[in-house]
Amino acid sequence: MINKVLVANRGEIAVRIIRACREMGIETVAVYSQADKEALHTQLADEAVCIGPAPSTESYLNMEAIISATVISGADAIHPGFGFLSENSKFVELCETCNITFIGPSADVIRKMGHKSQARNTMTAAGVPVIPGSKEAVADVETGKQIAAEVGYPVIIKAALGGGGKGMRVAAAPEDFEGSFQTAKKEAGMAFGDETMYIEHFVEHPRHVEFQILADNYGNIIHLGERDCSVQRNHQKMIEESPCAALSEELRSKMGDAAVQAAKAAGYTNAGTIEFLLEKNGNFYFMEMNTRIQVEHPVTEWVTGIDLIKEQILIASGEKLSYRQEDIVLTGHAIECRINAENPAKGFRPSPGTITDMYLPGGKGVRIDSAIYSGYTIPPYYDSMIAKLIVYAKNREEAIRKMRCALGEIIIEGIDTNVDYQYEILRHPDYCAGDIDVEFIEKMSAE
Amino acid sequence: MRLQNMFKKTKYISLTESAETNGRKVFTAEDPKPEVPQGLLRKCNHCKAAIIAEDVKTAHYTCPKCQGYFRMHAKRRIEMITDENSFEEWDQDIETANPLGYSGYPEKLDQLREKTGMEEAIVTGKASINGNEIVLGVCDVRFMMASMGQVVGEKITRAVERATEGKLPVVIFVCSGGARMQEGIVSLMQMAKTSAALKRHSDAGQLYISVLTDPTTGGVTASFAMLGDIILAEPGALIGFAGPRVIEQTIGQKLPKGFQRSEFLLEHGFIDRIVKREDMRNELAQILKLHRSEESSQETASEIMAFNNTQGNNKIASAWDRVQISRMKDRPVGSDYMEQLFSDFIEFHGDRYYKDDAAIIGGIATFHEQPVSVIVQAKGHDTKENIVRNFGMPSPDGYRKALRLMKQAEKFGRPVICLVDTPGAFCGLEAEERGQGEAIARNLFEMSGLKVPVLSIVIGEGGSGGALAMAVADEVWMLENSIYSILSPEGFASILWKDSKRAKEAAGVMKLTATDLYEMGIVEKVFAEPAHYTLENLEAVSNQLELRIQEFIDKYQNMTAEELAERRYQRFRAM
Repeated sequence: MINKVLVANRGEIAVRIIRACREMGIETVAVYSQADKEALHTQLADEAVCIGPAPSTESYLNMEAIISATVISGADAIHPGFGFLSENSKFVELCETCNITFIGPSADVIRKMGHKSQARNTMTAAGVPVIPGSKEAVADVETGKQIAAEVGYPVIIKAALGGGGKGMRVAAAPEDFEGSFQTAKKEAGMAFGDETMYIEHFVEHPRHVEFQILADNYGNIIHLGERDCSVQRNHQKMIEESPCAALSEELRSKMGDAAVQAAKAAGYTNAGTIEFLLEKNGNFYFMEMNTRIQVEHPVTEWVTGIDLIKEQILIASGEKLSYRQEDIVLTGHAIECRINAENPAKGFRPSPGTITDMYLPGGKGVRIDSAIYSGYTIPPYYDSMIAKLIVYAKNREEAIRKMRCALGEIIIEGIDTNVDYQYEILRHPDYCAGDIDVEFIEKMSAE
Repeated sequence: MRLQNMFKKTKYISLTESAETNGRKVFTAEDPKPEVPQGLLRKCNHCKAAIIAEDVKTAHYTCPKCQGYFRMHAKRRIEMITDENSFEEWDQDIETANPLGYSGYPEKLDQLREKTGMEEAIVTGKASINGNEIVLGVCDVRFMMASMGQVVGEKITRAVERATEGKLPVVIFVCSGGARMQEGIVSLMQMAKTSAALKRHSDAGQLYISVLTDPTTGGVTASFAMLGDIILAEPGALIGFAGPRVIEQTIGQKLPKGFQRSEFLLEHGFIDRIVKREDMRNELAQILKLHRSEESSQETASEIMAFNNTQGNNKIASAWDRVQISRMKDRPVGSDYMEQLFSDFIEFHGDRYYKDDAAIIGGIATFHEQPVSVIVQAKGHDTKENIVRNFGMPSPDGYRKALRLMKQAEKFGRPVICLVDTPGAFCGLEAEERGQGEAIARNLFEMSGLKVPVLSIVIGEGGSGGALAMAVADEVWMLENSIYSILSPEGFASILWKDSKRAKEAAGVMKLTATDLYEMGIVEKVFAEPAHYTLENLEAVSNQLELRIQEFIDKYQNMTAEELAERRYQRFRAM
């Protein structure tokens, strides 16, 4: 039973969680860094606790302070949002030790899914298709070359603890292998302090298609359909939509079953996401499992009509899922654009600063999840995403038009944003035709 | 617009009500309340932050947030430093007497024994560190601030005696409040007793490494703590004779921040190195390895390529050209050769009197698997580094450090290799106050009698007495474009002709080039340099040096101490 939730995050996701709690009659506690005293989440929550200085290592990643804030404020649960401590198994263990309900999966599952090779082994055992690749860590170039030949070029070299594109390189042919391997390894050592490397077959021109999972504590697992997140820049998603234009009903059900299978194999509970790479020929491969709520969850909410944050809280309270798989029907089409404080003309350089004026669009089928307001100063310490614009219409074509209209209405003065850049994407013939893959942005930038 | 207080902090709708309307369970007694279990978190004494107790353990008993050091139990220290199951404890049950009949003392000891599970404030015994056998002592501050009474003194003395007899190195992890007041004068005598035992150990040519940890003060600092051949310290440890509070009360002044901390002592020349806890074991092992007495295998130098001077450097440069080449900004400096010629270098700091002089870098390293002492006059690669290194101009503290390291080399039978590159000894107020002249003179005096081979190589500028203080050697070598002279050409012109602008002319008459000096018999070897000598083509010279250094060592290391000293005497006697 959850009476009071501490939201261990900031920005729009913290606001999103506070709103969901408020609707459910649950009290909220915000935590904030010294740089976030004026932030919307701090202001909006029922209570707010300052947990440290601006750098996130000393505030939003400060486990001891967050646990103390929870105990002192009398909250009985923590919602971690995404990023920060959301996939930190040690933090979840601490919550367990302190009788605090962590709104998310168990520490054990997070640990298992966080380690790429372990996750992969779990999936292989469960019969979920994975990309052919090295079974064990690859220590040196020679072994690497051998494995690369077995799985077939092009190959991708990845750090075991990697993420966000760091410690990751593609080798198109044997002669590129050594250079790519060394660079990736060095990068991994620097970024994660771990040089464990893996090699996989590189799937060419895939789409990024992920399935939303909900699992309760009683073994009931369903999927809420897919999201196409192929529009990415440097492995960072920019636009997400549901459903995916490339999925037939048959393929959806096949991938959905695999996703549920994957979640079962992991012993998963709460909301999670199974990411797949989808090839043009319809082959799909498990990529990774995200053991948290995702940035792009609103598109799923719109096509399914289910409030994912509320479901997370209900599951964590020990409720049974109130939906069965056959209840889930995807209706219409939803698209989300991430609005970032950055300057696309200057290499997407972050653009913190004060918003002097702003106007955000509305109307039927337009949703904005944000934490900004007129006069708000975006601090330079955190992620540059300041808002999510989500639109909903009966089909993809109409949704694209609606998104263009909404983007055209947005006014954010005082800082640079990627709104115009997003607009360009929405006008691109390939995007409009649904002909996208993970290299779309790269190709578009080259044009 | 400011949002402050625009949204009211609402004390929410009654929870039971909303819970009921949702048809959900209301709070019941079985639901355990969120709380932080006892012992899960602890507070850091340094940054005051709450930290997870478990993290402190995995971080070698340092604070995961501020990296501050926690004091360690002796047992944990032994676990952290020594090879598993290698520790064999000695002298566990020496009874602590009460020589003053001090009231309450025996009871206090009993209480502490119960509380700490220790018999006294130090644990001694035999152990190994990465396979290197040692005699080990570890103080534990929980037992009467690890003060030194008769038992502590006796345990150390016995351990050292056994080490001397067994030809084993001694490592002591020191922390202490000082002498144990409750035992009065008997306690004071322990300072003399332990020092005397260490003197015998040292005279027997055996190694003693002391590792100073927080806090090391009083009579312990004034005895066994400061007598290590090599003194290491943990970062941020308080080390001093009088405690800071006593000093403040005595002089009525607030002490500066960082006073009496390890870093302060390093700067003031009293410790060799600051070593982080996580590196301690490996550093100790490395030092021990370099002091192993067994003969090291001699590698043949066959794979070294001889330097072939095909650069057309034959057209003779003028003396002034050479002066300028010797001062070129991109010319390799001491540290570059060190990296190229030696492995496993461990730097030792300080003169043990006043300061650590960054103009001289010294320590031990291996040359073709053989331990050697390396002492280098250090110029920097850029202005920033040059400011730190005082442009390679050593102060008296630098020469005293060099001499200390040469004496250490003599004790452990290691050849000494000096690289000379200095415009001259530092000329300044402080240098005179601390006896620049005396320091140089002392080096000439002592070096002439060193019982190990000494080689000096002039790699750039050999400026006067400042260079000679590291060049009373069995052989002195020069690089083709290095110079070695009584004074800089500018100084020479200024003294003799009252015009420093005539430096170019002075260079011509001073006979300061390598060829001049070779012809005069001042130096034994001259090494050719590439046309534009930089880091890029350093190997061309260093390969040649490597080959010749091996020959030098082969030639001199089998000579007796007397032979070496006599040859060196005659070398300079003839000049």
